[in-house]
Amino acid sequence: MHRVAGALIIAAFGAALAAAAAAQAAPAATWGIDELMQNLARVKIAKAKFVERKYLSMLNAPLEFSGTLIYTAPGRLEKHTLLPKPESLVLDHDTLTLENKARNQRRTLRLQDYPVIWAFVESIRSTLAGDMQTLTRFYRTSLEGGEDQWRLSLTPAEPKMQSMVSEIRIGGSRNRIRTIEIIETEGNRSVMTITEDES
Amino acid sequence: MSLSARWVIGTWLALLLACIVVISRTEIRTDLSAFLPSSPTPAQQILVDQLRDGVVSRLILIGIEGGETPALALASKRLARQLRQQQSFASVDNGEGAAFTRDREFLWRNRYLLSPAISAEHFSSAALRAALEDDLQLLGSPAAMLLQRVLPNDPTGELLRLLEQFEGLAKPDSREGVWFSKDGKRALLVAQSRAAGYDLDAQEQALKSIRDAFSNAPAAGNIAAQKLLLSGPAVFSVNSRASIKTDAWRFSLIATVLVATLLLALYRSWRVLVLGLLPVASGALAGIAAVSLGFGSVHGITLGFGVTLIGEGVDYAIYLFTQIAPGTTPEKTLDRIWPTLRLGVLTSICGFSAMLLSSFPGLAQLGLFSIAGLIVAVAVTRYVLPILLPSGFTVHATAVLAPAVATVVQRAPRLRLPLILVVVLAAAFLIVQRGALWSGDLASLSPIAISDQRLDAQLRRDIGAPDVRHLIVVTAENQDLALEAAEKAAAALQRLSQRGLLEGFESPALYLPSLAVQHARQAALPEPWALRANLQHAQQGLPFRAGLFEPFVHDVTAAKQQPLLNRDSLQGTSLALKLDSLLVKRSNGWAAMLPLRGVADAAALGQEIEQPARKQAVLLDLKRESDQLYRTYRREITHFSLLGAGVIALLLLISLRSARRVFDVMAPLAAAVIVTAGVLVLTGTALSIFHLIGLLLVVAVGSNYALFFDRQTASAQDRERTIVSLVFANVTTVIGFGLLAFSKVPVLNAIGSTVGIGAILSLVFSAILITRAHDTAVSRR
Repeated sequence: MHRVAGALIIAAFGAALAAAAAAQAAPAATWGIDELMQNLARVKIAKAKFVERKYLSMLNAPLEFSGTLIYTAPGRLEKHTLLPKPESLVLDHDTLTLENKARNQRRTLRLQDYPVIWAFVESIRSTLAGDMQTLTRFYRTSLEGGEDQWRLSLTPAEPKMQSMVSEIRIGGSRNRIRTIEIIETEGNRSVMTITEDES
Repeated sequence: MSLSARWVIGTWLALLLACIVVISRTEIRTDLSAFLPSSPTPAQQILVDQLRDGVVSRLILIGIEGGETPALALASKRLARQLRQQQSFASVDNGEGAAFTRDREFLWRNRYLLSPAISAEHFSSAALRAALEDDLQLLGSPAAMLLQRVLPNDPTGELLRLLEQFEGLAKPDSREGVWFSKDGKRALLVAQSRAAGYDLDAQEQALKSIRDAFSNAPAAGNIAAQKLLLSGPAVFSVNSRASIKTDAWRFSLIATVLVATLLLALYRSWRVLVLGLLPVASGALAGIAAVSLGFGSVHGITLGFGVTLIGEGVDYAIYLFTQIAPGTTPEKTLDRIWPTLRLGVLTSICGFSAMLLSSFPGLAQLGLFSIAGLIVAVAVTRYVLPILLPSGFTVHATAVLAPAVATVVQRAPRLRLPLILVVVLAAAFLIVQRGALWSGDLASLSPIAISDQRLDAQLRRDIGAPDVRHLIVVTAENQDLALEAAEKAAAALQRLSQRGLLEGFESPALYLPSLAVQHARQAALPEPWALRANLQHAQQGLPFRAGLFEPFVHDVTAAKQQPLLNRDSLQGTSLALKLDSLLVKRSNGWAAMLPLRGVADAAALGQEIEQPARKQAVLLDLKRESDQLYRTYRREITHFSLLGAGVIALLLLISLRSARRVFDVMAPLAAAVIVTAGVLVLTGTALSIFHLIGLLLVVAVGSNYALFFDRQTASAQDRERTIVSLVFANVTTVIGFGLLAFSKVPVLNAIGSTVGIGAILSLVFSAILITRAHDTAVSRR
C-alpha cells in the first residue's frame, strides 16, 4: 500500500518537474506579454532594496527615499522606507496601511475609496503578481524588448487617472523588476531602482 | 312584542348607534406607541421618538439582486435617478460620486472651521515646520498623487484630518461606482423618506413608488432576473400591517365559515345563527367605543386582540341556545344558567381588569376593551336574544349527543391519576427550563416575520450600518447649546478612549461645531502677514519652492472672515443626513446623540460620563433599554395575571362559599395553563407576551367550562345538556383559534396555538377533575 502511494507521489512529482522544464525551454520567439506575466506570477515571494528619486515641480531639489520592498503573492506588498525617515507602507488586498512608528501614527485607507491611489498601486502589484486582468482594467499596456531585458509601458485607461499620470514604465529582466518610472502630467517624475536583496 | 321588550330592543339599537358614531370619529393608530410605557424615562423617550419619527425610522434599505454586476449597477443608477426626482424622498444614496463630491467640497471649503486641530499654536513656525516635514515624507508615498494637488492650499493637512475623522465609519463596498454587497451579488441603495416613520400611509406610498420606479426602469441586461428587495422600519410596519390584515382576515373568514356551518347544522335556522353572533358583534363595537372614549384613540393591536379576547362572547349564545330543553322557553333556561353565566363573566372581567392598571397603554386598552365587550355581550345574551329567538326553538342535536357525551364524562375521572402525573411533569419541566422559558428581547414583540428580519439583518450588514447599541445623549434648550454640550461630552470621551474604555465615537459637532467653537477657531487663525512670516521661518532648509504656499495664506485669510456655519450650510451633503440623525428637536429642547464604538466597560463609562457636573449627559444602552422595557412589560403582565387569579379566587369564594368548590373550579384551569405552557415550551417555542395573553383567554374561557361543570343541576338531563353545550362552545373556540396557529405572523400564531391547546385542555381537565352527583346519573330529587 505504502509502496503504491510512494510511486504515485514520485510519478506526480516527476510530471510537475517535466512541465516546469518544458516551460523553461519554451522558444524565445513566442515570448510576449502573456509569457512575461506567467513568469512574474511564478514568483511567490521576493525581497529587494530600493532607491526612489522624486522630481517634483513644487520642490527645488529631488527627494530621495531608500529602503526595502517585500512582495508576497498574490496580494501583499510591503514598502519599508528607512531613509530619510523610517516609515512603512503595507498593501494587503484592498487596504493600504501607512505606519510611522516614530510618531506612533497609523493610517489605513480602503483602496476603493481612493480610485487614483488604487490604480497607482495596482500598476506595481498586478505586475508583480502577473495579474493581466487587473492590470488591463486600469491601464493600456505595451511591451518592448525581450525576455532578458523588457520594458512594460502602462498608460492609464480612466480619465481621472489620465489627468494625473501620463505613463508608468516598468523595466526588468526575466521575472525580476529593475526600475519603475512614473511620469505625471504636471511635470513631476519619480524613478525607483530596485536591486536584488542578497540576504 | 311587549312594551318592555320594545324598550330593551330600542335601548340596544340606540347603544349600537352611539358606538358606531363614536367609532366613526376614532383615530386608529398603528405606531409603536402603545407598546411603550405611558410615563417613560428620558432614555425610553429617546427610544420612542427615534422609533416614531427619527431619521432611522425613515430609512428604506433597497437591494437589487439577480444577474451580472454591471447590469445591477446600471439598474441601481437608474433607480436612484428616478427616485431623486420624486418629492417623497429626502435623499437617495447608492454610492455614486455625486454626494461624496459635495461632501468633500463642503469639508474643503470649511476646513478651518471644522478641523479640531485649529488653535493659535497650530500656525506657529514650529508647528508649521513639523507639518511641512510630514508633507515631505508623505510625498514619498502613493498618497503623494492626491497630496500634491492640495498641498499649496493645505500644508497642515486639515482635509486629510477631517476625512480620517469620518473614515472609521463603516461604508459599503463599491463596484462599478455604486454600492454593492461584499459578494458583489446585490446592488445597494439607501433612501430616506420625507414622511415620518409613523405615517404608514405615506410610507406605503413611498414603497410603492420605489417598486414602480424599479419595474418601469428601461431594460438593462436581463431585467427579468433582477429582484428588488426592500427593508427598513417603514417596510416592516407597512408589511406587518398588511400581513396581519390579510392573515387575520383570511383566517377569520375560514373560521367563520367553519363555525357557521357547524352551528347551522346544530340550530337548523339561519335566523338563530345570526342571532348567535349578535352578542360578540355588539361587544366588539362597545369595546372599541369604550377605548376610544377612554384613551382618545384606539391602537390597531387593541382592535385585533380585543376581538380575540372577547371570543368568549360567542360561547354565551351557544350556552343559551343549546340548553333550551324542548318545551321550555329561553327565559326559563336563562333563569337556570344565568347565575353560572354571570359568575363566568365576572371571573373573566376580574382577570382582565388587572390589565387596566398597566402603565403600557396597549395593555390598558386591551383590558378596557375586553371588560366593556364582555359586559355588553353577556347583557345582549341575557336581555336581547330571548326576545328575538323564534318561539319553541330547541337544539335537537343536544338530546341526540347527550347520552354519548355523558358516558364519556362519567368515565373521565378515571384519568385523574395520569392527569396529576402529567401536570406534575409539566410543572417540573417548566421549573427546570425557567431560565430559557421566555423570549428575551423586544424583537419577540414585533409582528415581523422571521424571513423579513433576516433580510433586514443581511442588508444592514451589506450597507455597513452599525448596530448602534451605546449612545451618549445630551440635552439642552436650543440647537447650539446641545452642540456645545456634545463638544463637552466629546472631550470627556476622548480622554476615556485614551484610557481604553471605548474605541471611538461620533458626534454631531463633528459635522457642525457649536458657534462658540467655530468662533474660537476663527479667532485662532493668524493674520496673513503673521502666517507668511511663520511659514518663511518654517520653510528654511526645506526644498519647497518660494511662494508655494501663497494659496494657503489666501485660504486662511478668507476663512477668518467667512460666515459661521449653521444647519443650512450642510444642505445637499450626506453630512446633513448624519447631522439630522444625531441632532434632533424634542418637545422641550434639543438632544444631541453621540454613538459609541467598541465600548469595553459600559458601567465605568456611564459613571464617568454621568457625573453630577455633566448631568445633562446620559449613557444609553439601547439594547439594554429595550430589553428592560420588554422585561418590565412582561413582569407587569405576569403580576397582573397573578393579581387577576387572586381576585378570581376571591370572587369565587364569595359566590360559591366553599373553599372546596373554589379549588374544584380553579384546579382544572391551573392544570390547563401549566400543561399548555409545557407543551409550547417542549415544542421549542420561546414564550412571549402574546402567549401570556393567550393563557389569559384560556382562563377566561376555561372558567366558564369549570363553572358549568361545577354547577349544581336540577336533573341529570339538565347536566347532560349543559355538558353538550360546553362541547359545542369548545369546538367553535378551537376552530376559531386553532386556525390562527397556521398563520406565519408570530403574534397570531402565538395566540392561536396557545388558545387552541388551552381551550381543549380546560374542558377535558374540567371533565376529569370536577365530578358531581349527577355524573352518576342519580337524580337528587
